[in-house]
Amino acid sequence: MEKKNKTLRNLFIILVYTFLYLPIVILVVFSFNASKMNIVFTHFTFEWYAKLFQNKDLLEAFRNTMIIAVVSTAVSTVIGTMSAVVLQKYDFKGKDLVNKLIYIPIVIPEIVLGIALLSVYTLFHLNLGMFTLILSHIAFSIPFVITSVRSTLTQLSPTYEQAAYDLGAGKIRTFFDVTLPLIMPGVISGGTLAFTLSLDDVVISYFTAGPGSNTLPLKIYSMIKTGITPDVNALSSLMLLVVIIVLVSITYIQSKSIQKRGKV
Amino acid sequence: MNRKKAFQIIVTLPVVVYSLLLILIPIVYVLFLSFLKSDSFGGIEYQFTLENYLMIFDIIYIKILLKSFIIGLLTTFICICISYPFSIFLMDKSETKRNLLIKLVMIPFLTNSLIRTYGWIVLLRKSGVVNTTLSSLNLIDKPLNLMYNNLGIIIGMVYTLLPFMILPVYSAVSKIDARVIDAAKDLGANKIKRFIHIIVPETLAGVFNGSLMVFIPAIGYFFISDILGGGKIMIVGNLIKNQFLTARNWPFGAAISIFLIVFTFLLIRIYKKIGGKLDELGGL
Amino acid sequence: MKRKIILLLLILLMSCSCSKETTRELNVLNWTSYIPDEVIHDFEKQYNIKVNYGTYSSNEELLAKISSSKEGTYDLIFPSDYMIEVMKQRGLIDKLDKSKLTNYSNINPLFLNQEYDQYNEYSLPFLMATTLLAINTENIHDNITGYNDLLNPEYQNNIVLLDDQRIVIGAALQSFGYNMNDFSDEHLEDAYEFLMNLKKNVKAFDSDSPKTFLISKEVDIGLVWNAEGILAREENPNIQLVYPKEGYALSMDNYVLVKNGHNQDNAYLFIDYLLQDDVAQKIIDEYPYISTNKNISNLSDTELNSILKNGSYVTNSEINGENGIRKFDKLWARIK
Repeated sequence: MEKKNKTLRNLFIILVYTFLYLPIVILVVFSFNASKMNIVFTHFTFEWYAKLFQNKDLLEAFRNTMIIAVVSTAVSTVIGTMSAVVLQKYDFKGKDLVNKLIYIPIVIPEIVLGIALLSVYTLFHLNLGMFTLILSHIAFSIPFVITSVRSTLTQLSPTYEQAAYDLGAGKIRTFFDVTLPLIMPGVISGGTLAFTLSLDDVVISYFTAGPGSNTLPLKIYSMIKTGITPDVNALSSLMLLVVIIVLVSITYIQSKSIQKRGKV
Repeated sequence: MNRKKAFQIIVTLPVVVYSLLLILIPIVYVLFLSFLKSDSFGGIEYQFTLENYLMIFDIIYIKILLKSFIIGLLTTFICICISYPFSIFLMDKSETKRNLLIKLVMIPFLTNSLIRTYGWIVLLRKSGVVNTTLSSLNLIDKPLNLMYNNLGIIIGMVYTLLPFMILPVYSAVSKIDARVIDAAKDLGANKIKRFIHIIVPETLAGVFNGSLMVFIPAIGYFFISDILGGGKIMIVGNLIKNQFLTARNWPFGAAISIFLIVFTFLLIRIYKKIGGKLDELGGL
Repeated sequence: MKRKIILLLLILLMSCSCSKETTRELNVLNWTSYIPDEVIHDFEKQYNIKVNYGTYSSNEELLAKISSSKEGTYDLIFPSDYMIEVMKQRGLIDKLDKSKLTNYSNINPLFLNQEYDQYNEYSLPFLMATTLLAINTENIHDNITGYNDLLNPEYQNNIVLLDDQRIVIGAALQSFGYNMNDFSDEHLEDAYEFLMNLKKNVKAFDSDSPKTFLISKEVDIGLVWNAEGILAREENPNIQLVYPKEGYALSMDNYVLVKNGHNQDNAYLFIDYLLQDDVAQKIIDEYPYISTNKNISNLSDTELNSILKNGSYVTNSEINGENGIRKFDKLWARIK
């Protein structure tokens, strides 16, 4: 009875993973399919991977996406980390309001933030394009960095910083030499989150992009509408591969460092 | 002293500027827009009106709102039904295995969401993988209509939003002290009783957190209803998008947005009432 | 270290946005699936101009994009007939200087001086589309000749319609024998009834690539643009194309300059390029609409004349002083 129960439980878990991975596996499989239509598998080919590197528009969209993701992640990680520390350490007028405001981008529907930013850009006569895209991505990323950093900050014991002050270190020095290394896991996970959110954003980019600033998700959206070609499958297979490599190496490094610590 | 003050102001400035410029002003401007008249040319007349809010209660738009809420609720419900047993069953595994399995939940979501949605087209369409497999097994004699309808949208929504439910539910379930469950077992509580009396109350905030992160996007993700609904099913997301990008009635679009914001705040209120923390929202 | 990185990124960002100003650019908005990528890339290479090519799927979407974006964001657009008047009334477009176009004479005079822009002050014809019915005769054995035949309950979930309010509501009006530009409430109510009946048979609304639905056999019937029908027939010879007996829509898409576009000179170069015979040929090879180039017509004169005779243009919905666009928008939301 207990054993049967266990098989059923494992079966359920397997089903969930099947659901999660099925569309991805299908896309990877079809990226090697000779037929253009993505309907039946005819025979194996690398053609689409070769085609991918000739698809100028797709590569340009990829480049734009990377620029936006890198810049917005860098800016939002720095501002977000600073903000988390400031909001914890200092009191200032309107702090309560700021503390409430930063949750808004996390909780309201993305589309509302998208149209709100679009309206304001129009109000201030900003040219829609790379700049507005980066600004928008910064806008929705910062809150995620703040919450992520804040969760490590609250666990931080104030004694470390106190010790640094006692030893005569200044504020800035203490921050960079003591606080920052200690909250680094929060900073990194916040930054990673910002990066992945930026890479994948459809809704907000849809409203704030302009001519010449097509991002990969927007390009793929229009391709899905006009008939997708398998080079998109190839591109996503490659991106998936990169993601897996990065994740595996992070896990590997983490487990290594845990082992090391265990030895000491 | 003065230098200290100056330093404090300098480091505080970014977060204040950010939250005013990129959050407060946009939202207040949308609020302002929602009380303006739109002219027939698609422009804005600076004249106060409540017309846009009254228009939401037109039967056409009420229907769209209701449909979106039903789709959102169903999506949330299905996500809960998957996440609970999934998290509980995962507890049987060793910690390293569990960590690995949770990472495996995340990997698909690091690839492009549109690509994954497209994957569902390849699977679900009339000549798609699911239908061809089923008919080659002689299980069906006519292809099933799996997409370009509400079913397709719900499959897409559940798929896209599932991790936002699994993660908070899993983290809540994993925090339950195993000894409490054992004690209940010893006292003769059966599985269902244990679930209702121990697991549910302990995980309520986690589930509500997940529900917020599933329900709110689900009513706004216009691209999923566009791609998997065949352009014939409108949810609130499509409605707002159309007001801004085709019908050129920004004030009406703004009014629906404000309506959604107010609705979201109400849900957050409830979440806080049952002991949820804001910092845990959307944490991946 | 970190600050250096940020500084570097900022410099990078600035250089990105600055270098843009110096390269030659052209910002185009056009219908999806209308100009092959190859043609654009050839033009870019030949003239060393970077074309930022965006797309839209309906005239209404185009109007919204142009009227909400800052002046000078776009240079060249391709609105259909009725939309030219709408844009002219709103002061969104500039007059065209035909003398800047060396290939102007390649345009078939048959398409010039039309009602919607009497002396072609603002526009020149690019491509003409018509709507038609595409029917997969493998699965549909009935003889479909017009819109009323589509109501057959056997076709449940078997039709794809263009996602275009003027076209679809227009077709519904035509099914009663009304003019497709009829805005009377009574007739629109009839159209609504018709479409609600038809909706049970509709699997999807799609303007971008309805052919995909036909080719992948997702549906057997489509109300589609003519080129989409022709392309579907190329993939599946069983697909038959029918001009509905109650009438169908004609749509002439035109070169139009956006008011105060920053790169209007480049826009002229692009128009002139597209007017070349070989380029026009490439375009209709990939998207077989009706070319306006007199040297490469893909239809015989009699075919063309008969198409023009039985089809009708969509007209400006605001001409009668009524607020037509809003009416159509609301009706469309009700249908969906």
